[in-house]
This record gives sequence, structure tokens and C-alpha cells, in this order.
Amino acid sequence: MNIQEDKIAISSILRVQNIYFIDRKIDKNETVKFLTSKVYPQIADEVTEKYLMEKVLEVEKLNNVLETGFYIPHAKLSEIDRFYCALALLMNGFEDPESRIRVRACFLLLTPHKSGFFQKHLYILSRLSQIFTEEFIDRMVKLGRPRAVLNMIKSAE
Amino acid sequence: MNPNQRKSSKFKQVFVLSTAMLSFISFWRAASIVLCDFGSSAYYAGGIAMKSFGAAFPWFILAVMLFAGAMLAVYVESCGMFVRGGVYVVVRRAIGKVMAKMAVSALMFDFVVTGPISATSAGLYLGYLASNLFHISGADFNFPIKIFAMFFGVAVISYFWRKNIKGVGESSDTNVKIVSFVAVIAAVLFAWSLYTLWIRGFKLPPFEIHFTEEALGWAKYIDWMRPIGLLGIFMAFGHSILALSGLETMAQVYREIEDPKIKNLKKTALIVFAASFMFTGVLTFISSLIIPYEQIATRYADNLLSGLAMELHGPYAARFMLQILVVVSGGLILIGAVNTSMVGANGMLNRVAEDGILHDWFRQIHKKYGTTHRMINVIAVAQISIVLISRGDIYLLGEAYAFGVLWSLVFDTLSLIVLRFKDPGYERGWLFPLNIKIKNIYVPLGLSLVFLVLLVTAVINLVTKNVATVSGVIFSGVFFMIFQISEKLNSKKTRLYEDEPEIDEKLNLSRENDILELLPKLKKERRILVPVRNPNNLVHLKHVLAAVDDETADIIVMSAKISKIMEFGREESPIGEGDKDLFKDIILLAEKYGKTIIPLLLFSNDPFYSIMQAAASLKVDEVILGVSGTMGAEAQLERLAMTWGLLKSQGFETRPVKVKIIWQGRKLSYELN
Repeated sequence: MNIQEDKIAISSILRVQNIYFIDRKIDKNETVKFLTSKVYPQIADEVTEKYLMEKVLEVEKLNNVLETGFYIPHAKLSEIDRFYCALALLMNGFEDPESRIRVRACFLLLTPHKSGFFQKHLYILSRLSQIFTEEFIDRMVKLGRPRAVLNMIKSAE
Repeated sequence: MNPNQRKSSKFKQVFVLSTAMLSFISFWRAASIVLCDFGSSAYYAGGIAMKSFGAAFPWFILAVMLFAGAMLAVYVESCGMFVRGGVYVVVRRAIGKVMAKMAVSALMFDFVVTGPISATSAGLYLGYLASNLFHISGADFNFPIKIFAMFFGVAVISYFWRKNIKGVGESSDTNVKIVSFVAVIAAVLFAWSLYTLWIRGFKLPPFEIHFTEEALGWAKYIDWMRPIGLLGIFMAFGHSILALSGLETMAQVYREIEDPKIKNLKKTALIVFAASFMFTGVLTFISSLIIPYEQIATRYADNLLSGLAMELHGPYAARFMLQILVVVSGGLILIGAVNTSMVGANGMLNRVAEDGILHDWFRQIHKKYGTTHRMINVIAVAQISIVLISRGDIYLLGEAYAFGVLWSLVFDTLSLIVLRFKDPGYERGWLFPLNIKIKNIYVPLGLSLVFLVLLVTAVINLVTKNVATVSGVIFSGVFFMIFQISEKLNSKKTRLYEDEPEIDEKLNLSRENDILELLPKLKKERRILVPVRNPNNLVHLKHVLAAVDDETADIIVMSAKISKIMEFGREESPIGEGDKDLFKDIILLAEKYGKTIIPLLLFSNDPFYSIMQAAASLKVDEVILGVSGTMGAEAQLERLAMTWGLLKSQGFETRPVKVKIIWQGRKLSYELN
């Protein structure tokens, strides 16, 4: 097995139109469903929405909430050929029922389940965890504009 | 403040198992430990055999030392099956617990008599030297050698009694020094003996066996047991077999032998065989060629090698100097054997206590020194009593001696034969030669021959060595009864036994305040962290132990005890039975592969966080995990990657770490930057 150092910039896979500010009250499941529904149209030719939701929730059984209040639901799909992602910044946040951590940012990541992508996938997860600190999320939430958020991520990278 | 230090409080507490028990030794060191016990019989075996059946003794000592080669091979097969083997484990597996208790009772007798015979023999060598000095100085003084030997024996045993209570065990460094010194003296004796033989010529000792009334034991009342022909040969062989004592040390030392274990064990056995054959067998034989038989019988039976030094060809002063060196070397190795016997007996009792056949009263730990002082007290009191009863009579001790060693070897060899049929598929590192393969069974012809010799000798000894039979049966019987009663009592109060607070001490646990306190102990080029959780899922650890060179890499085996409600400043839950079992399995594996590991038990509220924090804090190069049955390898790597990122965001100083997940036939890896 090759050990790869497949670096990839988060800002290169996240589109401005996939960054959302949510100011209403929302829980964990609703957030995942919201982000999934937003990404789904981009891969509608490959999978059904139900299938996509099932794949994301399957991974979520393991709970990927970090103590910084950052949540990374993700799934690997053999039907896609590139990364898809979406970011939700939550004004009010929600309390993760399992860890009791208050979540303020949620990043949905869909990775091709194909050779060569897993190493990049791990790199993205590691970088996301490193960049999205509590202070970073606080600042992003206050920005109010998706473009500014993307620029902030770019400069952090 | 170093961020790694600041954040490491998340661990709450770090427990580190002592690594002392997990450092491994070379075959040279292993051989020196065995020789310190096994080789010591050179100083007294010949004289005792001579007193039993006369001038033919060198032939039989030589034969016994050749037979020792076969017995060493028996131990190689036995150790190759059980890393923590020895008579008890092998016999229990093959023919059951009752027989194992009988075998270990006999072996206890061997251990207990080894101390007195070695201490008394050292006292006799010293006593005869002192007598010689008095003679040279012209003092008209009849030095009471045997009484001196008795008091000397008591003093030596008392010394090691105290040392063992304090927990100062054997040092392989000391063993190497003693054996090296003894080897030099033996080489000088050997070379000078050859020169003497070349000058004087020699006559081989007669192969005539003349048993004393004492040596015939009860056989003198049995008409058909005339010491003639093959029967006589076996009787004489039985009187010489005490030279075999000390072989069990091989089994005790095997767990400490470094990788590759079986190969190194075979080298150890070869060295022990060659050295003891030359030292005990050949030097005893040469003694009989140089010292006139009458001189041996009247002056040198209790200090044969001193006699050899004094009867060599050369100036008196040089011979006397050599005698002093022989006495010093003999004193060192014999006194070393006293300690080995105490450590061995204590280790044996601890082993059977772990199996629940020794009452908890014996297991009580000394409050100050943490040793099993009651076991040591029992052994020391028994040894001192035996010295006092014998009143410095080495022949009496020799008569009693062979019972334990012989019967424990009978049980051990029989068990190996039974296991060939009972457990044909059991992993054996090596097979005793002379086998016929029938289907999947290696029918043990060679082992059976050895067993036959041992059994016949043991049965004949029962009749001829009545001192050994009576004392051995009483002593072994008492120990057997203790084991039986203890087992019954322990089975009634299992709960009490499990809740003993000093269990942690028995595992040699030491508490560290911070994981960073481990850093100074990590001095090798590479560091590998091996997280473990499930004793049934140690494939990755086996892979590491098989593949990694522990000379160049620190192998840190870590288990994280998870507590979700952990808070700073709160006393954490104690180490549970599961943790102890897991670490026992880890230690057994490390012993099996002969690799040095650093076991580490952490408390944390997140298993992945604890792994990656340990990796960052200890600056490891690789983290090697087993696959999680609930998550799967990919999900594990995802969590580890996220945790690594989190640690970096918290300011941890990190460097690239290669993470590998290993399971049956597969491997998944990733480098965290």
C-alpha cells in the first residue's frame, strides 16, 4: 500500500454557493438533511437523495463532532468522481445529543470511494479539524457573507 | 510552557507498568544464569558419588553429564511450547493439576535442598582451606570443618533470606562475572591437569561398583536387588544424578531470552551442556586420574576440586594459590546457587499461587519491600533447618538431594510425551530428536528412551536412597497438602482474592504524573506506538513484535482506559481486572517474541485523542493499530486524522507520524503531517 501525501486545498472544493448561514433553530439531523439536500442536485444523475442520506447517516453513527463545536458529516460514494461539500454556519447552534457539545459549524464532505481519493479524504478531514477552531468558527459566523467565509478559509490554508 | 505539557493534563493520569521485567537477555547471559546453578554441582557431585559406590564414580558423573545433554534438549522442547513454562505448566497441561502439584512439590524439594547443599559445600571448601592454613602456619589446632560449614551455610542462607525479603533478586551481570571467573579457574585447572597427566601418566579409574551399606538403602534387605549388572549400573547412576540439579532454571530464564528465542535457547542449552560437561564431567574425571583414590576417600571427598589443585604437579606455593582461587570460585558459584534456589523457589511458588493453588496468606506482600516475604520465610526456614539437621554432612545432603530433581524430570518428560499425542497441533519451536511421524503425530522415540532411563533410575532410587525417599516424600507430601488445601480455600473465597488492594503492586505498576515523564526513557532511534484494547485482537502487536528490531526502536504498547465522565482533579477509576488481563497478555506476547516493550496505561475520555496525544507527546514515528470490529479500518483512520488536526489546532508540537492499521493479511496506512 502506498503512503501518499495527497494535499488538497479545502477552498478548492468548496463553492461559494454551498456555504450557508442558518439563523433559525435547527437540530443535528435537520442540519445534515439540509446540507445533503443542497449538495444532492449536483450528483442527482448518479444517486438518489434517499441513498445519499443513508450513506451520510451510516457514517454518522460513529459521530464526528469535535470538541471545537465543528461537525463533519461525511460519506464515501463509489458513484462520484470528485469531492462535493457544503458548509453550514449556525447562528444559534445545536447541542449534539451524544457528546453534549454545542455545534456552530457543520461541513458535509462527499468523497469518491475510488482509488487515490482516500488519502486526500484523510488530509481534508485533518485540515478541517485543524483550521476550524472555536475562534475561527466564531469569526466565520459573524462574517455573514459566503464569499468572505471562503476567503477566510483560503487565507487560513 | 510547552503546549504538549499544557495539554497533557487531559490524560488525567498516566500509569506505566514497570519495564524491568520486560528487558531481554542474550543467550550468553541466559547460559551464565543456568550455569550458576547447574554448574555448581561440580564442586560436590563427584565426592558424594564416590562415597556411595567407590572408585567408578568419574564414569557415572561423566555419564550423568552426557545425559544432561538429553535433558537440556527435553527442556528446549518444553520451553518451545510454553514461554512461561517449567514443570508445573507442562505437567498441568498434559496430565492434570493433581499431577502438576505433585511434580511441583518434588521440585520445591529440589530447590529447598539446593540451598543447603550449596551453602554447606562452600563452607566445606572454605573450612578445608582454613584447615590447610592452620596446618601451614604450624598451629596445632583441629579445625572443626563440618561445624564451620554448618554455621557458614546458615549465615549464607540468612544473608540471602534478608536480601530476598528486600527484593534484591538475581543480577545477570553478577552471574556473567561469576561464571567468567569460574571458567578462567576451570581452564587453569584443566591446562595444569593435562600437564600433570603428561608428566606423570595416568591410569583410567576402574569400572568397579562397591556400594556402601548406606548407599544400598533398603535394597540390602531385598535379595534380588543385588547391585550387579544393569541394575547396579542404574543404582550407581541414581547416586550420581544429583549433578543434574538446576535444569529448571532453563525454564525460568527462557521468558527473558531475547529474540530469536528458540534459536537463542538452543545456543544457551549448547553452552550449558558444553560447559557443564567439561567442568563437572571432565574435571571430576581428571581429578580421579590425578588424585590417588585413597586420598579422595580420606581427604578430598568434600572438596574434590581443591584436592585436584593441591595434587597437581608443581611447586607447593603455586598449588596452594590455585587452591585459594578454586575455593573463591567455588564459594562464588555455590553461594550464587543458594540465591538462585531461593529466587527459583519463590518464583515457583508465585507461579502456582497465580494459579490459585497457594493460599493468599502466602501471597501477602511485604509492606515496605513489596516482596512475597511469607513464601521467602518458608523457604529460608526450611533451608536453615536442613543445614542444621545435616550438621555439615554433605553426603547426607547429597543422599536427600536427588529425589526432587529426578521426580520432577520424570513428570516433565512424561508430560511432553503425553502432549505429543494430546496436542499434536500445538506450536512447538523444536522437537526432541528420534521421532516417527504417523499421520499428524510425531511419535517420540527419543523422549520415551529418556523417560525410561529417568523412570527406572527414579524407582531404583526410591529403594536405594532411603534418606531421599523419606525426606522427599515427607517434604513433597507436606507441600502437596498445602497446595490441595489452599486450592479448596481459595475456591471458596474467590471474591476476596480478586479485591485484594495489592494486586496492582503484584503487577509492578508505577504511577507517573504526566506522559512526558516517559520521554527520558525513550532513547532509541525510532519510536513505535501500539495501541491495544482487546486481548483477542493483538494481531498488530504480534506483527510489530515479529518485524521490529527492539535494539533500534522503542515499542510503546498503550491501552487507554476510557471514562466519559472524567474531569480534572477527580480521582480516576482504579485499574480493573480487564486491564490487568490485557497487560498480562501483552507481557506474555513480548516474552514469547523476546522483544522489549514499554507498556503504558492511560486514562482518557476519548480513545482516539489519547492515542494521538500520546503519539505527539512521545514524538513517535509510527502508530500501529489493530482494526476495530465496530468501526472498521477506514473509519478509524478518519477519526485519527481528525484528531491529529485537532491537536495541531491546540498548539501541539507535532511531526509527521505514519499510522498503520493492521489486521489479518491486510494493512492500511497514512502519513499524518
